[in-house]
Amino acid sequence: MKQKLFMVALAVSLLSACNKDDTDLEKPVIDFSAEDSFPNNCDTLWLGETFNFRSAFTDNSELGSYSIEIHENFDHHSHSTEETPCELMPEKEPVNPFEFLKDYVIPAKRSSYEANVDIEIPEGNNEGHFDEGDYDVSISLTDREGWSTQKIISVKLLKR
Amino acid sequence: MPLKHLKYKAVAFLTLAFLLWSNLSLSQGTYVLSGKVTDNLNKPLPGATVALSPGKKSTVTDNDGNFSFINLPAGRFSVEVSFMGFQKFSEIVNLENSQEVDIRLTERMQNLQEIIVADNYPLHRNSEETLNVEVVNDDFLKQFLGGSLMQSLERLPGISSMDIGAGQSKPVIRGLGFNRVVVVENGIKHEAQQWGADHGLEVDQFAFDRIEIIKGPSSLTYGSDAIGGVIDLKQVQIPQVKSFGGNIDLIGKSNNNLAGTSALVFGRREKLFYTFRGTLLDYADYRVPVDVIDIYSYRATLYKNRLRNTAGQEKNIHFSLGFQNNGTIHRIFVSNVSTRQGFFANTHGLEPRRVDTALHDKSDRDIHLPYQDVNHFKIISRSVVQKQKFSARAELGYQHNNRQEWSPYTRHGFMPPSIPAELNIPAELERQFIKLVYSANLQAEFPMNDATEITSGLSLEYQDNDIHGRSFIIPAFEQLNAGGFMLMKHRPSEQVLLQAGIRYDHGKLHTASYSDWYTTPVETNGSITDSMLQRAPELTRSFSSLTWSAGLNYHADHLSLKLNAGKSFRMPAPQELAANGVNYHRFSYEKGNPDILPETSYQLDASLEYHTRRFAIGITPFSNYFPNYIYLNPGFEHDRLYGNGNQVFTYTQSRVLRLGGELHSHYNIIPQLKAGLILNYIWSEQLSGSKKGFTLPFSPPASALFHLKFAPGEMQLKQFPYLAADVKMVAPQNRIVPPEEKTPGFAVVNLSAGTEINIRRQAVNLTFQVQNLFNKTYFNHTSYYRLIHVPEPGRNVILGINIPF
Repeated sequence: MKQKLFMVALAVSLLSACNKDDTDLEKPVIDFSAEDSFPNNCDTLWLGETFNFRSAFTDNSELGSYSIEIHENFDHHSHSTEETPCELMPEKEPVNPFEFLKDYVIPAKRSSYEANVDIEIPEGNNEGHFDEGDYDVSISLTDREGWSTQKIISVKLLKR
Repeated sequence: MPLKHLKYKAVAFLTLAFLLWSNLSLSQGTYVLSGKVTDNLNKPLPGATVALSPGKKSTVTDNDGNFSFINLPAGRFSVEVSFMGFQKFSEIVNLENSQEVDIRLTERMQNLQEIIVADNYPLHRNSEETLNVEVVNDDFLKQFLGGSLMQSLERLPGISSMDIGAGQSKPVIRGLGFNRVVVVENGIKHEAQQWGADHGLEVDQFAFDRIEIIKGPSSLTYGSDAIGGVIDLKQVQIPQVKSFGGNIDLIGKSNNNLAGTSALVFGRREKLFYTFRGTLLDYADYRVPVDVIDIYSYRATLYKNRLRNTAGQEKNIHFSLGFQNNGTIHRIFVSNVSTRQGFFANTHGLEPRRVDTALHDKSDRDIHLPYQDVNHFKIISRSVVQKQKFSARAELGYQHNNRQEWSPYTRHGFMPPSIPAELNIPAELERQFIKLVYSANLQAEFPMNDATEITSGLSLEYQDNDIHGRSFIIPAFEQLNAGGFMLMKHRPSEQVLLQAGIRYDHGKLHTASYSDWYTTPVETNGSITDSMLQRAPELTRSFSSLTWSAGLNYHADHLSLKLNAGKSFRMPAPQELAANGVNYHRFSYEKGNPDILPETSYQLDASLEYHTRRFAIGITPFSNYFPNYIYLNPGFEHDRLYGNGNQVFTYTQSRVLRLGGELHSHYNIIPQLKAGLILNYIWSEQLSGSKKGFTLPFSPPASALFHLKFAPGEMQLKQFPYLAADVKMVAPQNRIVPPEEKTPGFAVVNLSAGTEINIRRQAVNLTFQVQNLFNKTYFNHTSYYRLIHVPEPGRNVILGINIPF
């Protein structure tokens, strides 16, 4: 009888264990609808200037880290993750494209965070001026559990 | 006339009449063959059909089970007795006088076979094994023909598949797949890129006449990787002496406009025989029941519901030459499986792509970038020697697998605008894997005494893997595995089988180092140097493993019970030890761990089956514990230098517990109508590590299959004709790990029918299916395209024509 009760208790505890809801099952959110987020899809960034990247991140549990990458999309291979497509410049071959890649850790125990970083776009490097054209800004955001969200925004990089 | 003459005449006439009469009696026969027909419990069987030949006489037993044939001449007769629910009885009777025979029939039980199998092999196989085994033949595959072998086998309890489009799938046994399932073809382990999520099993589903699926830890006889189970593909049919014939299969499918054929030719003189098969399949982009796909917030519109660029082709050739002399069979198999399948054009893995829709939508059969090309060549030599006291088999195998993934050149991270020509890497070759495998197996079985049998075996496998292409994911490597096992089977009584075995494996892995072909700016002490980053170090590791298995198989008239406990293992794959690169199919930077230990698994399996004439039910629960499950853990960090800003995933090991089981039942409502039910359930949880409390990736949700089959012919004896309906209900999958998404539940209806027709004395078998009858939009949690929200294919009408000759 005792053995039977033990088996039942084991079964019940196992079943209830799998109903336990303290595992985080939600991805973090990159909120571009926020008023002052920048850049937005189809915006223009300027060579030789510093722009202020702003975005609102939220998560149901705890945020992790994020990375920002800017790379050329002159052959229009990639598509933004955003709904409305932008008007694109003509396709061309890259000569000296601008590249940016940096990752940032979000302070611990935060379920919401306002990302605010200055990103400098020099006019050029020792190989000459950077190419103008269509670029992608790729943002990857994770939460502490390892859930991630990606956003790709189409922007134009132009000389003033 | 004088009276004397009349008397003589009368006597003569009477004598003649008497002689004539007795002659007639003699040629009609005066003997009687009578008897009584009873069942296995000795109860009389009224209404049983008794047939006698020669003479084509038949009669039916009376209420007491008695029958009789009168006026039989002396001679040899064949008596055949048949009765629904019993095995046909046949006996030769030498009639020299009137005779009485007692005939006892044995019950034919309802079994859990999905298709009528002509011989007793599945029953026999299951009684020889303490693990759960499903056995199917090629008729099963034709009745449930899916886009690939695993899709056709998905219907079996405990079996599912991970699908990549409509023509490629990977096997999953009780929720375990990838490197945890072993596929064996004619005795040789099939080696390809099993670790890959977009890799499909390179086998021709028309090429096998028997498939056995062993569910549970099978490392004892199959070595490393056989944790979830084994899919054993066999070509066992051997042509009869002095025969020539073949089979032509024609297939058409409406959903992806598939047109295909597979033709077999076989022949045999005395001891030499050959088989030859060619398979050709060509299919267009497959159709889904929606016209837009939401890839994140980006909405991709589909043209005519087609998933552009998912078309494909398959060209396979198989040849075997064999020699049979009584119990000795030597056979050589040569085969080449060649496939090309496009990947959905609107994304590259998870990354949305800008698409030239005009180019793709011009034709639904063309294949543009991105696509994969796979070629798998095999030579297998198999020898079986069966003597009275001893049987042995030996296999030698050579395999060459060449897999290429082609996609437009895309700059990621610090890749330059183009690849320097001197590197000889075609810009569009994203990845290539070339694998050479040399295998050898030897196994011998001999009885120790009347009740005990010992099997022992040795196996050896050497692999040489090379890589090519612009993108790095796994290093080049060599691997050598050797293993030996001993298994003992003991029958203390006719109903009980005890089995226990032990195995030792030793493996050595050597990975080559790999560095990027382009430079990355590295910041050291304030200055920036351009260097080619090393993605994989050179690594040599050795692994040893001791595995075992012990089990019990008990069967009585109506009940059978199996119990098995076993330990199995797998050697870590090269990327689990040495990865250090970005997987651009899923935005992940994957890091290996050189200290990873071989994965071990302990499993307890049981099977309880109950059979009567009309009803059969089987329950097969299992519990499985891994002390060191190798898991690719998504972390919260991003890495700039090696990861190009992507999220870091690290190979770790954690304790994992899995529980589950299947229920399988059949019931004959009336002899021509059978109802069936298959239930599948799996629960897994990580008990330690950073994902403690989470499940495992690709966990299949619980499912139920209801089945109704109408077969007006003698159900137990003929496959055709039949009409059947399946309702598959799948529960929602809310237990997920990053980066998965919850998948809603669904129900899907499939119809199938089959018949045999005769066209000018040529037998033609027709099978017909409608899959996803109501064109339902639903998602499969384990599909490759699920994460970009591609639903499963829409309604598919499939026609199969089989012409034996």
